[in-house]
Amino acid sequence: MSPHVVFVTLIVLGAVWTACWAFVLVRSRYPLPFEQLERSETTIRLVLLGGLAIVSIVLFAVTIRWLPFPNTRIARVGAPQIVVRAVGMQWSWEISRRELPAGIPIAFAVGSRDVNHDFAIYDPGGRLLAQVQAMPGYTNHLVYVFPRAGEYTVRCLEYCGLGHHTMSVRIIVSDR
Amino acid sequence: MPASARLMTPDGGNGEVLRASLAYMVAGLLSVLLMGLLGLLMRVDQAGMLVISPVWFYRVMTLHGSGMIASVLLAAIGGIAAAVSSTTRLSARALWIALVIYLMGNGFVVLATLVGGFAGGWTVLYPLPEHGLIWSLGSALAMYAGYLFVALGLLLFCVHLLIALARSHGGLTKALAWRYLFSFGRDTRDALPRPVELIAAVIAIDGIAAATAGAIYLVPLFAQATHLVTSVDALFAKNFVLLFGHTMGNLSIYVTAGLVYAALPAYTKRAWPMTWPVAAAWNLIIPLMLLNYSHHLYADFAQPLTLQLLGEIGSYAVALPSFIVTIIGALALMYRSGMRWGSASIFFALGLWGWVFGGMGALLDSTIPVNQVMHNTLWVAAHFHTYFVLGALAFALAYLTYVVEMLSPLAARRGSDAAAWLYGVGGAGFVLVFFISGANSIPRRFAVHLPQWQPYARIAVAFVVLIALSLAWISWDLGTRMRSAWRATQLPSGES
Repeated sequence: MSPHVVFVTLIVLGAVWTACWAFVLVRSRYPLPFEQLERSETTIRLVLLGGLAIVSIVLFAVTIRWLPFPNTRIARVGAPQIVVRAVGMQWSWEISRRELPAGIPIAFAVGSRDVNHDFAIYDPGGRLLAQVQAMPGYTNHLVYVFPRAGEYTVRCLEYCGLGHHTMSVRIIVSDR
Repeated sequence: MPASARLMTPDGGNGEVLRASLAYMVAGLLSVLLMGLLGLLMRVDQAGMLVISPVWFYRVMTLHGSGMIASVLLAAIGGIAAAVSSTTRLSARALWIALVIYLMGNGFVVLATLVGGFAGGWTVLYPLPEHGLIWSLGSALAMYAGYLFVALGLLLFCVHLLIALARSHGGLTKALAWRYLFSFGRDTRDALPRPVELIAAVIAIDGIAAATAGAIYLVPLFAQATHLVTSVDALFAKNFVLLFGHTMGNLSIYVTAGLVYAALPAYTKRAWPMTWPVAAAWNLIIPLMLLNYSHHLYADFAQPLTLQLLGEIGSYAVALPSFIVTIIGALALMYRSGMRWGSASIFFALGLWGWVFGGMGALLDSTIPVNQVMHNTLWVAAHFHTYFVLGALAFALAYLTYVVEMLSPLAARRGSDAAAWLYGVGGAGFVLVFFISGANSIPRRFAVHLPQWQPYARIAVAFVVLIALSLAWISWDLGTRMRSAWRATQLPSGES
């Protein structure tokens, strides 16, 4: 899922909403007895309720396939061929392997030595690709396939104290 | 009937309650102004225009986040107390005690951050408060104490409100219109509550749940800090702090939505009575508001899958009754009503826009695969700032303006309507920049922004200045009329 697609979706939905809202505001100046509008209000409510309920159910059903959790990812991209251990600590990452191949499933086993962190992979263009929390006492597995070669950045996205913004590390991804 | 009497109980006995309510609203909104200035300072820093040290940035960030949530909620619950007080006998003493406890909590938070140097974020996410490396355990404990007092103040307010509503209607189920609800609107033997009373009961129940979650979170943390237990489970802590904090944030918007039911009819000259959809929607909000916090834990893969899916389902579900009933209801009330426009009604209209637009951002983010690429970027900040600035705060300002209009003989200043629209322009631009930043994967809670991220913060600063200018004008206008409004609460019913 591209963040820019999400943004365009928001803008389109927001524009439709803003147009409806502005229409109501403009028309609010011209009075009409409420009794003449009540039936339309009920119809609009029922149509919207039905429409939004269907959209919600479809969206939920469709997104199930794209869940980021390990079992769903493995079902989609295959079993991991490499396991990389990543441990967060204030304020650095300890990663067992920082040169990785593109195009094959990799499992990042992510933990924390102290507080909560977030292991977030950014592509060379600065776009967030995937993330998982690094939690004390837990190991979370993020299964990911790097799409192409390049220099990726892992940033911490869970606020972890004074050096939070400095907590990043580079990963070199090359073609097999 | 004089304006002041319309807000009072039939025996004129709630002038003291109105004064307490006004104190909540004024204290909350003044605190919002201060917290907003801290927010401006953060954006100025991120823009590279005035660099403050990360030590101070994170202190300010912690105070801004916790203070803003507490302040908006304070103004909101003050409004709801005023709104129900015309038909429900509240105790002014209970309100003042709850306010003092709540403000003591805020005082502890200010001390913990500005004096104690605590910078663990408003989420006080265990174990960071006790593992901050640059602040003492004492300051973390002061922060916990602050949250405990805020939770206690909220608990007292909500328990008192719930008891008063139950007494007023002859039982809690009647205050929640259950007989009417479960008979699908056929059984109207019970006198139905006004929508704002039903909403007050709903938010009181969820407020009690949120305060209890806060207490459950804080007890083991105090125990751990004093070495009574060796450690606390990080996932347990995260669930409970978000159930507490996220619900506190949610309460603000839902409480202020109640204020729309209470005051918008005065401007549209149309009644907004209790109907079956209103009863159904708001009773549904009770469980749904408590479920959706878990959309903040999607990246915690250790969280049980059921809770993860419940987070998405709950987030979608809570939007439906709010949009279908409250938003559409408010728009229907306004449409072709011959609406009386003024700063209050402008704020109401802006609040409706912001609630929906922020909700769209939130709904997208609550879709788990989308959240994978949006979580903890500025998209998250975008959606809740939209809720707060253009939703809850706009509604709270609208309601305070309405109350002042009702109580004070002084008219609003000429520029106030323009100032209210300016607030909308500034707010929309401000949150839009957050959304664009989130779409460009810029992380939230970073003291230092990379050079390529700074232009976004610079644009945001300009919009925040617009918000500040409009709020300065509105505050001046309301402030000059507040004294006469305050005096009017001392009048017995029937005098103006």
